[in-house]
Amino acid sequence: MPLPLSTVTLASPSRPPRTPARVYRQTLWLLTSRDLRVRYSTSFLGYLWSVLDPLVMAVIYWFVFTQIVDRAIGAEPYIVFLLAGLLPWTWFNGAIGDSTRAFIKDAKLVRSTRLPRSVWVARIVLSKGIEFVLAIPVLAAFAIIFGAELTWGVLWLPLAIVLQATLILGLGLMIAPLVVFFRDLERAVKLVLRFLFYASPIIYGLSDLPDGLDVWMAFNPLSGIISLYRAAFFPDQVEPFAVVIAALMSLVALAAGILVFRRMVRAVLKEI
Amino acid sequence: MGDVVIRVEGAGIRFRRNRRGRRSFKDLFAGSNRRARPNEFWALRGVDVEVRAGEAIGVVGRNGQGKSTLLKLVAGVMLPDEGRVDVDGGVAPLIEITGGFVDDLTVRENVHLTAGLHGMTRAEIDARYDEIIDFAELRESVDTPYKHLSSGMKVRLAFSVISRLEEPILLVDEVLAVGDKAFRDKCYQRIDELLAGGRTLFFVSHNERDLKRFCTRGLYLDKGLLQLDGPIEGVLAAYNRDYGSPS
Repeated sequence: MPLPLSTVTLASPSRPPRTPARVYRQTLWLLTSRDLRVRYSTSFLGYLWSVLDPLVMAVIYWFVFTQIVDRAIGAEPYIVFLLAGLLPWTWFNGAIGDSTRAFIKDAKLVRSTRLPRSVWVARIVLSKGIEFVLAIPVLAAFAIIFGAELTWGVLWLPLAIVLQATLILGLGLMIAPLVVFFRDLERAVKLVLRFLFYASPIIYGLSDLPDGLDVWMAFNPLSGIISLYRAAFFPDQVEPFAVVIAALMSLVALAAGILVFRRMVRAVLKEI
Repeated sequence: MGDVVIRVEGAGIRFRRNRRGRRSFKDLFAGSNRRARPNEFWALRGVDVEVRAGEAIGVVGRNGQGKSTLLKLVAGVMLPDEGRVDVDGGVAPLIEITGGFVDDLTVRENVHLTAGLHGMTRAEIDARYDEIIDFAELRESVDTPYKHLSSGMKVRLAFSVISRLEEPILLVDEVLAVGDKAFRDKCYQRIDELLAGGRTLFFVSHNERDLKRFCTRGLYLDKGLLQLDGPIEGVLAAYNRDYGSPS
């Protein structure tokens, strides 16, 4: 039975052309909400999982460093100090870890759509970032329970988020295409991440480091970024020098990421 | 004749012959120079094609002669190493059509996701949603997770979504080989409708009947080169002459 002709949509150049920025925003949002929806629709505990991981870690370190070892690091209340470092770390760790599979996981979709290619990395940064933001109330709850005083340093929070997003995006843009050619990199990244966990001021603060070492540690951009997060409750944790270095390094990472990504995307499309 | 909507100028793309070949960092950053590398071959080279709005073009050639690669260049899912591929207007690619679907999401969610990724706005998707579901004959399964669909249903859904995209150019890469006969007929009818609506068609197939049915113009690709560009009958005749398949 032939369909009535009215259902045939005529070639439609009438639709206003969408700007590249709008296309980018739309696809980024679609993919991000897809990620979140998949995660929350397939697991019973949904949201809880994204909070549970840093929470368990925090409890473990809290137990080790306050109940077993007599600690001389961090600040009081230590559990709040820990969480303020662990939650951003979870974002960093998750996004960098996932960006190793950014192309591989969605290979079919990359092969069949002509979306702006960097969206495959950006959506990981965004979806992990949203989970991080959703976890902030947990930090607030702990701060209230343990009587951590909120200070004006909380105003640094947006800057911290922007810097961290810039850093992760830059690193992700480098890692994602490289992994397509060097699969070993996937494991290498995991290893580096594990090392980086202890090489970043998460269970300790920058000021706990011996003289001299803290200067070097400032070149880990996470140092400055985490110190900004902690400013909300521990304003004396902020080290301007480390923050400036973190800002510079985040921008350099983004520039390098864009460069590497542009150079490699052509080869990536052939390979996957 | 309409305006030129696809312009391929001296397009070439090369692949590594040996996929396990060693890759050095230097290789990756060397950029797209014209120096031939030992382990690489040109899958396509020096292809010049101009397609005007409303044309229906069939691409023929043996396996591995660059048909799908040409389609992917036009679709923009691969980028040429030399030359240019300019496409004016959006493309609805029937290439790996089930690729965008997510196992754990429902049919309804998948329709919104895939149509959105291919550039439909939310309002357009809402307006076409019923049409898409009815065409795919999946009215009862809209809340079923995609992974529980049969493979035939998956293809039906995918074709239904992509063929509803409001794009002026339609790319078809042998997807019609799948599905049962009734649905295939429906697909053919849908493509006919789209052609009647003024869409431009780029069609890759080994099936001579399909090619003759839809296409007026043919491109014959062999050894990575465009050997012949002309009316479909002549192109098919040349292809059969070279490779002696019975017609």
